[in-house]
Amino acid sequence: MIIDMSKKDMSRQRTDVPYGTLDLLALKTLETMGEMNGYRIARRIEQVSGDALKLSQGAIYPALIRLEQEGWIRTKWGISETNRKVKFYSLTKAGRKQLETEVQKWEQANALVARFLEAAP
Amino acid sequence: MRWRGRIERVLALARGRRLDRELEAEVEAHLEMAERDARKAGLSAEEAQWAARRRFGGIEQMKEEHRDRRSVRWIETGARDFRIAVRTLGRAPSFVAVTALTLALGIGATAAVFSLIQGVLLTPPPYQDPEQLILIPSARTDGQQQESPRPWPAAQWMEWQREAKSVQSIAAYRWMFNFLILPDRVESFEAMAVTPEYFSVVGLEPALGRKFVASDTTPSAAPVLMIGYELWQRRFGGDPNILGQRVRVSREDAPLEIVGVMPPGVRFLPAPNVAQEPNYDVNALVDIWAPFSPGSDAAELKRPRWNVVGRLAPGVTPEQAQAELALLAERQAQADRDFAGFTPNVQSLTSEYNRDGERILLPLFGSAALVLLIACGNAAALLFLRGLGRQQEYAMRAALGVGRAGLFRQASTESLLLALAGGALGAGLAFGAVRAFQSIGGHAIPRLDAVTTGWPVLLFGLGLALIAATLAGLFPAWRASRLDPNEALKGAGPKSTVGRGERRLLRAVTMAQAALTLVLLAGAGLLIRTMINIANAPSGYDTSRILTMSVTSVQRSGADFHRRSLERVQALPGVQRAAYAWGVPLTGNNWPMRVIIEGQPVPVRASEATELPLRSVTPGYFEMLGLPLLEGRDFRSNDVDQAPPVAIVNQAFADRYFPNTEALGKKVWLRGPKEPHNTIVGVVANGRTDDLTRRATPEIYGSFWQYSAYSKHLLIRTEAEPLSMASAVQSALREVNPHAAVEHIKTFDQIRDDSLAGRTFAMRLLVGFSMVGCLLTLVGIYGVLSLSVASRRHEIAIRTAIGAERRDIRTLILSDGLRLIAGGVAAGLAGALAFSRVLRSFLYEVEPNDPATLIAVAMLFIGVALLACWAPTRRAIHVDPMKTLRCE
Repeated sequence: MIIDMSKKDMSRQRTDVPYGTLDLLALKTLETMGEMNGYRIARRIEQVSGDALKLSQGAIYPALIRLEQEGWIRTKWGISETNRKVKFYSLTKAGRKQLETEVQKWEQANALVARFLEAAP
Repeated sequence: MRWRGRIERVLALARGRRLDRELEAEVEAHLEMAERDARKAGLSAEEAQWAARRRFGGIEQMKEEHRDRRSVRWIETGARDFRIAVRTLGRAPSFVAVTALTLALGIGATAAVFSLIQGVLLTPPPYQDPEQLILIPSARTDGQQQESPRPWPAAQWMEWQREAKSVQSIAAYRWMFNFLILPDRVESFEAMAVTPEYFSVVGLEPALGRKFVASDTTPSAAPVLMIGYELWQRRFGGDPNILGQRVRVSREDAPLEIVGVMPPGVRFLPAPNVAQEPNYDVNALVDIWAPFSPGSDAAELKRPRWNVVGRLAPGVTPEQAQAELALLAERQAQADRDFAGFTPNVQSLTSEYNRDGERILLPLFGSAALVLLIACGNAAALLFLRGLGRQQEYAMRAALGVGRAGLFRQASTESLLLALAGGALGAGLAFGAVRAFQSIGGHAIPRLDAVTTGWPVLLFGLGLALIAATLAGLFPAWRASRLDPNEALKGAGPKSTVGRGERRLLRAVTMAQAALTLVLLAGAGLLIRTMINIANAPSGYDTSRILTMSVTSVQRSGADFHRRSLERVQALPGVQRAAYAWGVPLTGNNWPMRVIIEGQPVPVRASEATELPLRSVTPGYFEMLGLPLLEGRDFRSNDVDQAPPVAIVNQAFADRYFPNTEALGKKVWLRGPKEPHNTIVGVVANGRTDDLTRRATPEIYGSFWQYSAYSKHLLIRTEAEPLSMASAVQSALREVNPHAAVEHIKTFDQIRDDSLAGRTFAMRLLVGFSMVGCLLTLVGIYGVLSLSVASRRHEIAIRTAIGAERRDIRTLILSDGLRLIAGGVAAGLAGALAFSRVLRSFLYEVEPNDPATLIAVAMLFIGVALLACWAPTRRAIHVDPMKTLRCE
C-alpha cells in the first residue's frame, strides 16, 4: 500500500505524489485535524508540505473514494463555508489502525533505504 | 478488510451515476472554496477563478481516475463496449440477420446432434457405478461365431460367484415376454426374470416397496413381482397404494402380488440368446421383474439358460476379470464335458450400452461440426467485409485515442454478440431438430425416448457460440486493431476493395469451406448410393401390400384358434391370402436351432453343433411373399403334430449341405438325435430374410402346425392399401377369440423401412447437412468473387479500354472462380478419402473411396459453384471503362 503503482500513465505524470503516499497523507491529516471536507484536506496537505509537493488538489478525490470504500474513512454531508452541501470526511477505527500500519511500513522502508544509503562502500 | 473494498467496488458499478453526481457537487464546492480563499488573498474575481482551476488540476482526468479507482474497471468497459456494439449492430439489421442466421445453422446442427449424444451416450444407465458392471456372454473356444450366443448353466456362474476374486458379485437374469391381463385389455410386456441378488449387484433401490429376497424363489412362496416406474404410471396411474395389489399374467395360474416399484428409466440388460424373439427390444424400459432361482435340481442346474452380469471388485479391470473367469470356465470344462467349448467373453456394460449409439451418432456429430466450421468461415468473411466498410470509423477512433486493445475489444465484442445471437437462435433450431429426429429416428437410434432438450443443449449452443465467435471474429478484430489511421483516413469514403494479401486469405477461407462441403457431400453421396444399392438388392421376396400384426391367443386355445382365425381372415373381402409365421423377414425373428443334418458329422460337443435359424409358417406363406418353391411341395394343412415331421429348406441350405445330390427326402433332426427326424419335402428360393444387405444363408422352415409359437405374426396380402384392412382383420380375430392380443400393426414395407432406419437417418441428416454446407459455401464463393471484381474494377476497365473483349473478361473472372473452386474440390477429395471411412459400417456395396461417387459429387459441386460465379462475372463484363477510369 506504500507505493500503489497507478495503472494510468497520464495521471502519474501530472501528480508528483504517488497515490499510496497521498493515502497516507490524507489519513494522517484526518487523524490530526478531525472531520474535514475535501478542499480543506488538500489545502492542509499543501500547507504542511510547504511547496515541496506539487499536488493537483483534485487528486485528493480518487484517493478519498478508495479510503472510503476500504472503510478507513467515513463521510457525512455537511455545509461548507460557502454555504454548499459538501462531504465531510473523518477517520474510522479501522482507518486509525490502517494509519498505524501504514506509518510503520513507511518507517521500516525508510529505515531500510537509509541503511543502504549510509552503508560504507 | 480488503473484501469490503472489493464489494464496495462492485456495488459502485450500480451506483455509478449517483457517485458521479456527488463528485460533481464536491468539485463545485471545492472550486468555490478555493476561489474564496484566493479572493481573500487579494486576487481579482477572474484571477481567483483561474487560480482555483489551476490548482485543482484536470477535472475530467480526475473524474476518470475516480471512476477507475472506485469500481471494477473491466466490467465497466465491458458494459460500455457492449452498449456500443449493440448500437452499431442495430444500425445494420440485415448484416446481423444474415450473420446470426449463418451461425445459427451451424450451431443448431451441432447442438441438435449433441442433444442426442447427451441423452443417449452421456446419460449413464441408472445403476450404481455402472462402469464397474460387466456383462459375461459366452464365446466359442474355437473362435467360431455363434448364431445365437449360448447362455450359461447355473452350475457354472454359481461357481464363479463363489470363487472369482476379481468380481465382487454376480447375478443372473433372463428375458421374458408375457401378457398382462387387465380388466379392460390384454397388454404384452417384456420382463426380466432375475436372481434375488440382481438388485444389489447392479445397485438399484426400489422407489416404492421392497426388492426380492431369497425366500421369494422357494417353490412354496407366494408369487410376487416388481413393476417398472413407467408401467406404474401408465397402467396404474401412479396409484400410491399399488403395493400388495395382485395382477394376472397369461400362462400363470395364480395372480402375482406387486411388492415393489422401480425408479424410472431402468432398461434391459442384453440377453443375446433371445435376440431372435419377435418382441425382444433391449433398449426398452423394463415393465416387470420376477424372482427366479436355479433351484437345486442337478439337471436343471446344468441347463444353459442364464445371462450373467457382475460387478468388478474395486480396482480390477475387465481384462483381469476376463482372465480369471476364462480360467475358471476351462477348469469347469475339464471337470464336465457338457461345459466344454464355451468361454466367457467379458464386456463392460457401459461400452456395450453405448455401442450402437456411438456407431451412428459420432459420425453425425462430426458432420454437424463440419457444418459449423463452414458457417464460421462465412461469418468470418462477413465480419471481415464489414470491417472493410468501417475502416474509416476505426481509424477515427484510433486517432481519437482509443488504443489497439480498445479497438480489438470493440470488434470482438461485436462478433461475440453476433455469435451469441446465433447461439440462441441455433439452440432454438436444435430444439426443433430434436423433435424432428425423434419423429423420424425412432428405429435408428437406441433410447431416443430418453433424449430431452433443456439447459444442457442451450448451454452447449452458447458454448459453441463462444467458439464460433473466436473462430470467426478473431481475425477481423485483429485486423481492425492493426489499422494505420493515417492510411485509412487518407482514402475517401468507405472502402470496398482490399489488397492482394487479404484477398488471398479470404480465398483460403472459402477454399476450406468448399473442401469441408465436399467431405459432407461425399458422405451423403455414399449413403445415397448405399440406399439405391439396397433398393436394387435382390431381396427375393415382395413386401408390398402386406399387412402384418403380432397375434397371440393369450388364453391357451392353441391350434384351433389359429386355424379358425386364418379361415375367418381369409374370407374377408379385400384379403387375397393370409398366413401365420414365426420368423418374418427383417424383424430379426427366428428360432436358432441345433440341427443334425443327414450326411453331416454328428458333433461331439454342444459348442460344435450346427446352428441354423428355423422359421415356422402356414401353407401359402411362400406364395404370398413371392418366394418360389424350387423343388418339392409346400406345407399342407395336414402336416400336423400327429403326422410325420416335415421341413422345407432354402436354396442356400441345399447348396451347402447337399451340393451334389437331391435335398428332397433327406433327413434333419431339429430336437436332438434321439427324437424323430424331419424329412425335407421342399426347397424354396433364397431370400434375404436377415438383413437386406446380407446374402441368404442356409435356413429351415417348419410347418406351423408342427412348430406352433406363442406370439407370432399374422401376414395378410390385401388388394388395396394394407392399413385400411387393419380394423376389419382385428374384429375378425376378436370374433374368434375375444381375448386375442393384437399388437404392432404395421405394413411389411414399414418393417422393411425400420430395418434400414439407421442408414436412412444417417443419409437424411448428411444430405441435409451437406445442403446447408453447400448453400453457405456458395454464398462464400459469391462474396469472395464479388469482392475480387470490385477490387479489380480499375484493372478490368483498363483491359476493356485497350481492347479486351467481353469474352476475355469473362474468362478472366471465371478462371479466377474456377481456381478457387478447384482448390477447394481437390482438398475436399483428399478430406473425403480420409473421413469417409467412418461411414464404412453403413455402406452397402460401395467402398468409402468409391471413385464414381467422389467424381459425381465433385462435378455436382463444381457445377453449382459456377452458378455462384455467374453474378460477379456479369458485373465484371458490364464494367464501363469510361465511367470507372474517370471516377478514379
